Amino acid sequence: MLNMAPWIPTLPFLSMFVCGAMFACKSQAIRNATAWVAAAAVAGSFLCSVMVVKGFVDAGSPAAGVTVPYFEWINIGDFHANFSFLIDGLTCVMLMVVTGIGTLITLYAAGYMSGDSGYGRFFAYISLFIFAMSCLVLGDNLLLLFLGWEGVGVASYLLIGFYYRKPSAVAAAKKAFIVNRIGDFGFALGLMGTFVLFGSIAYSDVIPAAHALDVSSLTGWRADLAWWIPFLLMMGAFGKSAQLPLHVWLPDAMEGPTPVSALIHAATMVTAGVYMIARLINVFNMNPTALAFIAAVGGMTALFAATIALCQYDLKRVWAYSTLSQLGYMFLGVGVMATTGAVFHLFTHAFFKALLFLTAGSVMHAMAGQLDLRKMSGLFSKMPVTAILMLMGCLALAGVPFTAGFYSKDIILTEALIKAPVLGWIGIFTALLTAFYTFRLWFRVFLGETKYEMGHEHHGYPVEHDLDDHAHGPHEMPWWPMNAPLVVLAIGAIAAGFACHGWMEGMIHNSTAAVASHGDAEHHHSVHTFVSIVAGGGALVMIALAALFHWKRRDLTEKIANAFSPVVTLLYNKYYIDECYNVLVRGVLNMIAWMSYIVDRVLVDGVLIDVVIGRTPRFVAHVGRMFQRGRLQGYGLTMGLGLAIVLFIMVWKVMAG
Amino acid sequence: MMDMSTKLATLWPEIMLTLVAFVVMVVGLSPQLWMRRATYGIAAFGLVIAAILAATGSPAATGDLAVYMKVAICLIGLALLVAAAEVPDESQTLVMGDQAFDPASTSRGEFFGFLLLSLVGAMLCAGADDLVWLFLALELTSLPTYVMVATSRKSIKAPEAAVKYFFLGAMAAAIFLYGFALLYGATGTTYISQMHAIFADPNQGISHLALAGLVLAIVGVCFKIAAVPMHFYAADVYQGAATPVTTFLAFVPKTAGFVTLIVLLNAATGWSIVDNTPAIATLLWILAVLTMFVGNTLALLQDNVKRVLAYSSIAHTGYMLVGLLAGAGPAASGGFLLRNGLAAILFYLIAYGVMNLGAFSVLGLLKRAGEEAETFDDLRGLAARRPALAAVMAICVLSLTGVPPLVGFWGKLYLFGSAISAGYVGLAILAMLNSAIAAFYYLRIVAVTYMSEPNDDVVVSPLPSRSGAAMVSAAAVIVMSLAAGPLVDASLHAAAGFQTQPHMPAAPRPVHSEPADHDSLEVSGVNGEALPAASASEASDAI
Repeated sequence: MLNMAPWIPTLPFLSMFVCGAMFACKSQAIRNATAWVAAAAVAGSFLCSVMVVKGFVDAGSPAAGVTVPYFEWINIGDFHANFSFLIDGLTCVMLMVVTGIGTLITLYAAGYMSGDSGYGRFFAYISLFIFAMSCLVLGDNLLLLFLGWEGVGVASYLLIGFYYRKPSAVAAAKKAFIVNRIGDFGFALGLMGTFVLFGSIAYSDVIPAAHALDVSSLTGWRADLAWWIPFLLMMGAFGKSAQLPLHVWLPDAMEGPTPVSALIHAATMVTAGVYMIARLINVFNMNPTALAFIAAVGGMTALFAATIALCQYDLKRVWAYSTLSQLGYMFLGVGVMATTGAVFHLFTHAFFKALLFLTAGSVMHAMAGQLDLRKMSGLFSKMPVTAILMLMGCLALAGVPFTAGFYSKDIILTEALIKAPVLGWIGIFTALLTAFYTFRLWFRVFLGETKYEMGHEHHGYPVEHDLDDHAHGPHEMPWWPMNAPLVVLAIGAIAAGFACHGWMEGMIHNSTAAVASHGDAEHHHSVHTFVSIVAGGGALVMIALAALFHWKRRDLTEKIANAFSPVVTLLYNKYYIDECYNVLVRGVLNMIAWMSYIVDRVLVDGVLIDVVIGRTPRFVAHVGRMFQRGRLQGYGLTMGLGLAIVLFIMVWKVMAG
Repeated sequence: MMDMSTKLATLWPEIMLTLVAFVVMVVGLSPQLWMRRATYGIAAFGLVIAAILAATGSPAATGDLAVYMKVAICLIGLALLVAAAEVPDESQTLVMGDQAFDPASTSRGEFFGFLLLSLVGAMLCAGADDLVWLFLALELTSLPTYVMVATSRKSIKAPEAAVKYFFLGAMAAAIFLYGFALLYGATGTTYISQMHAIFADPNQGISHLALAGLVLAIVGVCFKIAAVPMHFYAADVYQGAATPVTTFLAFVPKTAGFVTLIVLLNAATGWSIVDNTPAIATLLWILAVLTMFVGNTLALLQDNVKRVLAYSSIAHTGYMLVGLLAGAGPAASGGFLLRNGLAAILFYLIAYGVMNLGAFSVLGLLKRAGEEAETFDDLRGLAARRPALAAVMAICVLSLTGVPPLVGFWGKLYLFGSAISAGYVGLAILAMLNSAIAAFYYLRIVAVTYMSEPNDDVVVSPLPSRSGAAMVSAAAVIVMSLAAGPLVDASLHAAAGFQTQPHMPAAPRPVHSEPADHDSLEVSGVNGEALPAASASEASDAI
């Protein structure tokens, strides 16, 4: 069973080329079939993943995991990085998420993307993404993790910029790529540092060594390295998972097609940072300061993004900030070493956030690209299935008791309250905000007076209304292939919490993310009960408030918004973070660039290049040329002179020495 | 020393080639054109046989260096022969008014004979154990090349170049012969191993007379390798000779010269150059730096590609002198090229020979108004007309520049790395600086072939074997770049016979911080003492 592991990345890898080749064909029928090739490949990966998970459980779920070799990759001196896979509990959970959700979203996309001129290209990119992401979660060493990490980065870049004729999409793609480079720079340094400190980058060497390492016994640069490695790796995680202050790319990434937002920018890729920290929790534990920092940044991101989500009017942007906020929870979780809670939340979040994005995509699809909350209302009667599906996602996101989000969030909040009460309370407050903004959106879109304004786009490009059937008004999505996968996701959003609770604990316990249990179980239990009641009850209260303000009495909202207009403006403009970047980073960069330009022009080009490097060899050459006159006698003379000089130097040297 | 028959038994490849050379010369006088044309095939066949004989010969009798060099000279010699010899289609010749060198159709059997004899000379250098032998071998390498240059093309430039080459070569020969005479006067022997024993003897050491002899010998041999101060002829002669002959000149005499320097310095210094002969170390340092700078800076101003390649050939000599100064390193037998300058030189000689062959062969295919194309202008836009040839040129030239991952890069890495291992950090920096200067004129060649409008005055000669030689050398550059392992191993093996051995055990040894180095020094010291003793007893037997 475990030997099926190599097929998990291989199938999408092959599918990528097949889709590309099919896309190059002229025949429309062949081009349209690419979706089924990709879906079959990803579904095949999912089946292999199921078998691998079964194999792992059959093998007795060894905590150290099972290594499945594929092929030898890099072998230089002491540096070994093989293409081999580590199967442990964490890998199993991630495989289920990546290939399972991946299959559902690929199916949905087969319908959603139909009619797009880049249909085959889209599925080739999706295959690339699944390949890279499965390498990322399967790899048994940091370099394979890094390979997958960069691979998903490329796939993300390509998919955000999928509508490459749209300037905003191109800009967003570049932004995502560049911001991620900042994080990856840190990751790469951390990887090198790990190799220097431990002499290996294989998890099986590094993680036990880091666990056994007594940091206080280290001296000199080794101590510094052990202190810095967690921070450097953390930078990579912050970039990929869009934590403060590297979060700016994620909201803009919604320029990509909606299935991409669901798959890459909500369910899977952005959680890679959480996966990395959970996987290397023992390495991060070398420096408790780094973990505390991660927890604090996670908590701040959660709160910060939730407040922004309160005042956004763009459907997908609300979910994007919500994703930031939920990722913040996960970082808070790993920061307080609640790896089970963090990975569990990653798992449940994948279901409900994918569902929310895809239903938002359905609305967008139905409304010809319209995403503005102010321009739609009371759509329940037009698309009831979508409304109910999104409602299920909303309940899970809001953390209504007994839905998926409720269970996973509570574990994180409990641990946070015990370890870092301030962050715990921030988390609980954020949970209340989450419930409010989630239902603000749902009530506004689906309830109230039926009133809407159609958009002007189809798949990122403006369309002529009379040529497009979308102009006839909002309509329900077909069951196959679009709504059926959503039903599966909706079941997951509701049931994944209580159904998978025990399984998750067992899986994480049998992985490198396992954290020894500690503290007072009694106390733990009472805090957990407290959090359940406060967060669960609070969520219901906030939903009721949202119903009041955004369903029954929308006029009240406007009054309040007018009263607090500076706050609303600040939140609507996302705390002006992008503008700050503009001034601080771009302004400073421009200034440095300008000064460098002057230095380059005057000193480097002017003095160094022109005079020292440019003129000196030329001068020497002109002098040398005087001896190259082509006359035999001259050559003989200069050779003789040369010999005389050599002899003179030798005599002088021997006499002196 | 060995008796005559034993010694002859180590020389089968040379004997074979000499015989083939005579056969080629005789057949070349035949009135039938087909027989004259066959001389090319006979010579090639002789080289293949000689290569096999050299490869299968017992290294115990000849030494690993000799085996390596003989095989390498035979194989690259074969490629040089293929690049040099061509039978142009006669109608094409008429159309193009091709006046350039075409040896076979003008009954140039003697050309191939001289080419083989020159190769024999270079091979003999590798096996030399006696100063007289060494002198004769060096002269045997050079004398045929004078004829080759003079007869290589009909243009008046060729005899002019040959006369310059001959007179300056004679002057250089006089200088190193004088050096050999002084060495004999100082030691009373012409046997290199006996000389080594005398120099290594703490009671005798290197006298000032011997040192003077050594300096003269080195400076004289600098002519063969085109190093400062004996480099002046290079540009004129390389330009004046037909391109295939230029290719030959850039490889064969240079190889012979470097082998001679390795043999001489091994005897004199035991590769503790700084400890044993500080004056020689200074001399080599100065010569290396000047050679690099002179070669590279003079190449900057040239419009003539052949002169550029000639000056760059001087610069490459400078790089290899860096390896000579780095010496055999602390653990010659241990396999690491970054620490063994001699192995790095042996590696680089082959790499340089192949890269150079590719670049010159492409140049040799271009004709302008019946004359050889030589300027940058003639190379314009080659890529648009003959993409394969332009690619060969680009690969070889980029490799000469030292662009990773091409073989030129590895060669320079090994040379400069060995210099750093030996403590010559400053020299390595200067060498790298020179590589950067060289990029200017090398990249100019690539730029002009790829980024300019085609030059319609230039025609590409339909010479399949020369373009084949160009393709093969580009392929060899790529293979050596990606799979340098066997060549690295071979060069290390060839250099394994040389070890760093301080002459005077009483003198303070260089302090090594790493214990591993110290150990290997001890081991090599033991071997080094055993070797001269054995040869001395052999010598007394012979006498």
